[in-house]
Amino acid sequence: MTEPWIRWRSLFGVWRRHAVCLLRTWKVALTWFLIEPAFVLIAMGAGVGRLIDELPGHGSYAEFVTPGLIVGMAMFHALFECAWGCFNRIQQSTLETMLTSPANITELAAGEVLWGGTRAVISTLAVGSFALVLGWLPLNALPGVVLVSAIVGLQFGAIGLCFAAASPTLSTLTLVFTVLATPLFFFSGSFFPIEVLPSGLQPLAWLAPLTPGVHLARGFANGAMDLSHALCAGYLTVLTIGFFPVAVRLLRRRLVK
Amino acid sequence: MTNNKHMISVQSLVKSYGEFRAIDAISFDVQSGETVGLLGPNGAGKTSTMRVLAGLSPWQQGQVNVAGLDAATQGRRIRQIMGVVTQHDGLDVELNVRQNLELFGYLAGVSRAQARTRAAQVLEFFSLTGRAETEVDDLSGGMKRRLAIARALMIDPQVIVLDEPTTGLDPHSRSQVWEKLAQLKSEGVTVLMSTHYMDEASILCDRIAIMDRGRILALAPPHELVDRYAGGEVIELRLDGIDRQAVRDALLAADMGWRELGALFRVLDPEPEMGVLESLPGIRIERRPANLEDVFLRLTGKELDDD
Repeated sequence: MTEPWIRWRSLFGVWRRHAVCLLRTWKVALTWFLIEPAFVLIAMGAGVGRLIDELPGHGSYAEFVTPGLIVGMAMFHALFECAWGCFNRIQQSTLETMLTSPANITELAAGEVLWGGTRAVISTLAVGSFALVLGWLPLNALPGVVLVSAIVGLQFGAIGLCFAAASPTLSTLTLVFTVLATPLFFFSGSFFPIEVLPSGLQPLAWLAPLTPGVHLARGFANGAMDLSHALCAGYLTVLTIGFFPVAVRLLRRRLVK
Repeated sequence: MTNNKHMISVQSLVKSYGEFRAIDAISFDVQSGETVGLLGPNGAGKTSTMRVLAGLSPWQQGQVNVAGLDAATQGRRIRQIMGVVTQHDGLDVELNVRQNLELFGYLAGVSRAQARTRAAQVLEFFSLTGRAETEVDDLSGGMKRRLAIARALMIDPQVIVLDEPTTGLDPHSRSQVWEKLAQLKSEGVTVLMSTHYMDEASILCDRIAIMDRGRILALAPPHELVDRYAGGEVIELRLDGIDRQAVRDALLAADMGWRELGALFRVLDPEPEMGVLESLPGIRIERRPANLEDVFLRLTGKELDDD
């Protein structure tokens, strides 16, 4: 008579709901997934990149910045879905309604995070294909970069869900973007190598939760891996697995009274 | 394994929020096919009770069973056969009406094809077929509530629990919801609902539990509650040019309990001796059949809509 530990239909049910929502608004979604990132990519690669000499070991600036941007975009997509989106679904009692089905909190959280990862992958496929056409990302790097983005999506999905569940108001929720996402986007080695930071700041930048994803994606783009990449893979795994139970706990505290 | 006569069984249920006991050792059961209402003011513990049954709230003591399943350990299986309508409709505003039903059905374990068929059926039942592709935000309050109930029916439940199904609706929408709930009952669905409307409880419910401050004060069919606690008639005094204090003095002298309701004085004694008051000038004595409101007043000393 014991109940199954995990009910897969709950995860797919949440995931399918999100997929239907995305398909309903695909015209707008196209701007998030392709048009806006394309502007950023061109501005950085073809604009800023013109002012910068080749980076040793990385080729052109465009080739350096592309994997970093892709992973940064993956982070934003996951956060947008699991922080902003989930906060709204908590406020509108959508998640509470889901709990009146046989689904439980852990499964709802997993479904949300899974969708965060899915959005990150969609984003990476879109921006990655664009970069491929521009010649800034080699084709054989794409699978590895997609894999990294998927994990970064799950990681920041869980982090975003923590913020959604813990934020009492919409204004505190914006902290996830101002205090977390924007600094990470700029200081995780996406736009410049961490080695150019003052030596006191470098360890901090290496510990930042977006850094391992950026470093790994760049490793795939360059086709060269070393011990630092293995360490980053380990750190990324720990972060991804570590934040999920925290998100579940916070969500339970928010929804179950 | 299950005693199906008792679709819902609650024994000595206690739920506290910190020091506050929201549910203070209540016991009741709902028979299969029966409609039972929890009637009481805000803060009586109705919503807390509904949330415990829906698996949305933990509780501290007591035994809760639905269809023979233990709510403490088998909540998932309970929610496979129990539809839940929470107080806020909880509709998904990013989806249209049909998608709200189909995707909830899918989440609840219904196959995609079945969900499509079932959605068409419940839309028909709730007269929402023409609204299937409408955005949720464009529905009226009454339609939203009907959609929320329709969603609970997507799993073809044996039992549904509804938390204040018509609160905030206009009279026309309320009677539409009542009609559908009565229809569900006639189809054999067991219903547990909470309400603070006396008319709703007496129209829909086979039995009513009068709740106040986390306790059930009485549980019986509506007419029995009225007979037992309010007597056949209620006497009200309407003032016609007489000083209120003079009426109070007269009631005190006659050793009667009363309650002042705006311009009215309602006598609380079941069978009062009205001789003294009849002789007072400027007072009109009115008699009307007692109702659930009077039951509530007798049991708690306050009005249903008092907070």
